[in-house]
Amino acid sequence: MSATAARAAAPARRGARFDPRGLVLPLLALIVWQLWALTLPHDSPAPSPARVIATFIELVRSGDLPSALAMSLGRVIAGFATGLATGVTVGVLMGAFRPVRRVLEPIIESFRPVAPMAILPIAILWFGTGTPAAVSIVGYAAFFPLLVNTVHGVSRVDRKLVQAARTMGVSRPRILAKVVLPAAMPSIMLGARLGMSVAWTAIIAAELAVGSKSGGGNSGGIGSMMFVFYAYSVDLNGIVVCMIVVGVVALLIDQLFRAAEARLLPWRQ
Amino acid sequence: MQAVENAKLRLKDVTKTFIAPRTLKPTVAVSDVTLDIMRGEFVCIVGPSGCGKSTVLNMIAGLEAPSDGTIFMDDRPISGPSAERGVMFQDYALFPWLTVQDNIGFGLRNGTPGHSLSAGEIKDRIEAHIDLVRLRGSEAKYPHQLSGGMRQRVALARLLANGPDVLLMDEPLGALDAQTRLILQSELLRIWGETSPTAQRKTAIFITHDIEEAVFLADRVVVMSRHPGRVRALLDIDLPRPRNEHVRTTQRFGELSEEIWQLIRDEALEAIA
Amino acid sequence: MEKTQTGAKPASRDGDGPANAAPQRPGLPAMLLEIPGVVPALSFAGFVALWWAGAAWNGNSIQLPTPPEVFGALVSLARDGELFTNAGLSLSRLIVSMSIAVLIAVPLGFWMGLSETLRRYVDPTIELLRPISGIAWIPLALFIFGVGGVLPVFIMTYVAFFPLVMNTFAGVRGADPKLVAAARTMGVGRLRITARVVLPSALPTIMVGVRLALAGAWSAIIAAELIGAPTGLGFAIEWYRELLASPKVFAYVGVIAGVGYLADLALQWLQRRLTPWTVGGGLS
Repeated sequence: MSATAARAAAPARRGARFDPRGLVLPLLALIVWQLWALTLPHDSPAPSPARVIATFIELVRSGDLPSALAMSLGRVIAGFATGLATGVTVGVLMGAFRPVRRVLEPIIESFRPVAPMAILPIAILWFGTGTPAAVSIVGYAAFFPLLVNTVHGVSRVDRKLVQAARTMGVSRPRILAKVVLPAAMPSIMLGARLGMSVAWTAIIAAELAVGSKSGGGNSGGIGSMMFVFYAYSVDLNGIVVCMIVVGVVALLIDQLFRAAEARLLPWRQ
Repeated sequence: MQAVENAKLRLKDVTKTFIAPRTLKPTVAVSDVTLDIMRGEFVCIVGPSGCGKSTVLNMIAGLEAPSDGTIFMDDRPISGPSAERGVMFQDYALFPWLTVQDNIGFGLRNGTPGHSLSAGEIKDRIEAHIDLVRLRGSEAKYPHQLSGGMRQRVALARLLANGPDVLLMDEPLGALDAQTRLILQSELLRIWGETSPTAQRKTAIFITHDIEEAVFLADRVVVMSRHPGRVRALLDIDLPRPRNEHVRTTQRFGELSEEIWQLIRDEALEAIA
Repeated sequence: MEKTQTGAKPASRDGDGPANAAPQRPGLPAMLLEIPGVVPALSFAGFVALWWAGAAWNGNSIQLPTPPEVFGALVSLARDGELFTNAGLSLSRLIVSMSIAVLIAVPLGFWMGLSETLRRYVDPTIELLRPISGIAWIPLALFIFGVGGVLPVFIMTYVAFFPLVMNTFAGVRGADPKLVAAARTMGVGRLRITARVVLPSALPTIMVGVRLALAGAWSAIIAAELIGAPTGLGFAIEWYRELLASPKVFAYVGVIAGVGYLADLALQWLQRRLTPWTVGGGLS
């Protein structure tokens, strides 16, 4: 009985040590997939692990994948920056001033369930099928997590900290800058991480949809590349490469933001 | 009884009524408190929970306004918070994102106390207060890396570094274990200036629910009662200063503690019923 | 020793009025604002006014139709039933995929929470798949399922799976060991502990997972239908954009928000019914 207790206590530190058991399922899937692909005729378009790797190398060598990735990342960064600036500004105003919050909250809350993708047709109506439409969707997607978390962080600042600053003769604007903002920073950083993750999803969706609906795959970016593989060159290996790249970039973005959090907020336990 | 013109703080008929946010029913938290606190005096306020001790302190700090009555400091009515009256909060209210030294220097760098000081002078003052509360070696740590007793000393250093005239302390030792508490009580008296002449001591108001702590620290104990919070009695603590651990074993210490206990006992029992 | 007055005195010394009168009485306009619903109504009025002014200034009803135009489009879509057909289709796809996802993810997460061995095998695979967003599966899924109703269901099930499995796992792992120990000392058997202690402990976290899954799935359905389905809200919105029928596009955007909001409201109600001991809810 004590053995089970010890085993149950150990996994608290997740991923602390490498466990080969975790590789069993992915490797098994890869092997089955490859064996299945080997049974198919040689000219079958079905993807296989070996062909995916070959396609990946080819796409990197030709420069297609890096340039598509650069395009998508550029749009995400531009859109995220917009969402960050507006989300944090409005969030601080709503969190710090109750009247602002009471007025804006109903409107914000009713826009929250509108998926970024539902905005896409409107964005195309306004900006056409190029980069501005994609950037505005990314900005819209990133705005909500940033806003919600900023409001949460600012409005939940420990009142005692604000009072402490007041009893030291600190002016109100300075309290906002030196007490409220730092105290809300963990929440804002969390909002940024979540916002960036939905922004990355949104850009893929936007590029995919723009590619599928504007008739050409000329908008660029990795989502649009996937659509070209689907609709024109019928390259399933290329699609799988893109999927994996999308996943890896998402993972890297997440790690980057976590590292930034650890760096910028050393005072957290 | 001391001369009234020596009063540093005067509370005159102070009443505080809260309005419950949902029911809109007014509740009297503090009723008709009249109290003079002398310059250099150490006053402890004791009472059962819910007697409005913290509300009184917050009103003196200027964080809350009395619904009725006035509080004067040096014969001028208090209208808001000021660095002249420093507050030490129950759970210290240290800024978790600042190191020990930056916490101590927060008021000097951002508030009125540092307005006439150069950066070098501020630095010296921070250093001096790190030494005063014996935190040398921990000045670059964050609050979460410190023990409860150390956090309490950071809060004390931050309070003193701003050079307030009046020290307002809201159960500052409440969260500590019994041994640490005893040590820090003596430390607090040392830093307050027990060994200096009365004229050089700061005026201190200290809230506690621990009767023996109040007797050990105070020149005078204010006993408050509940429903509504009002002053029940004032006791002069005639134990000689400087006080050391032995004072706790004296007969007089026991008598004073017993007297206060008799005053609040019934209500304390009522509070847990 | 000095004594201050200790006798009871009325709290208020105004003489007139009740003893415990409020210190400051808010004025009539301020009191009106305290009535629930007044401020939201005013904000919406302000929002609509701004929108209307913007549309009038823009003067291009394809880019930005006026509020009456959008409202008219909404009414006509509702009248010929098209609105309900599409909303009903999307909603039923949502319900089907949520049900599938719950049936797969909750038992899996629960089992992972109970069995460390299973977690060691499965967790890395989940972590490998999770970063690949549901949207990125659309082109491949188009090959497998073709354009139709299955594609959105697949995408939504995939999207809903992750928050469900992770929250269920976290809920089971988060069950207070003291409660389990307490049940054991009362001689309760293992199976009963799982059903009567672990499950109720995990339920609030699972419900949060359900709400997160629903929000994610509802957001993905639009993309999935827009690209790969011949029916549904996502399809309709894009259809009318191609026709440049902007009022209908905007009307559908409103419907998407409305259905998403109502679905979450339903879940909040369910959450209160299933876990009445948790206050609030913990989302947002």
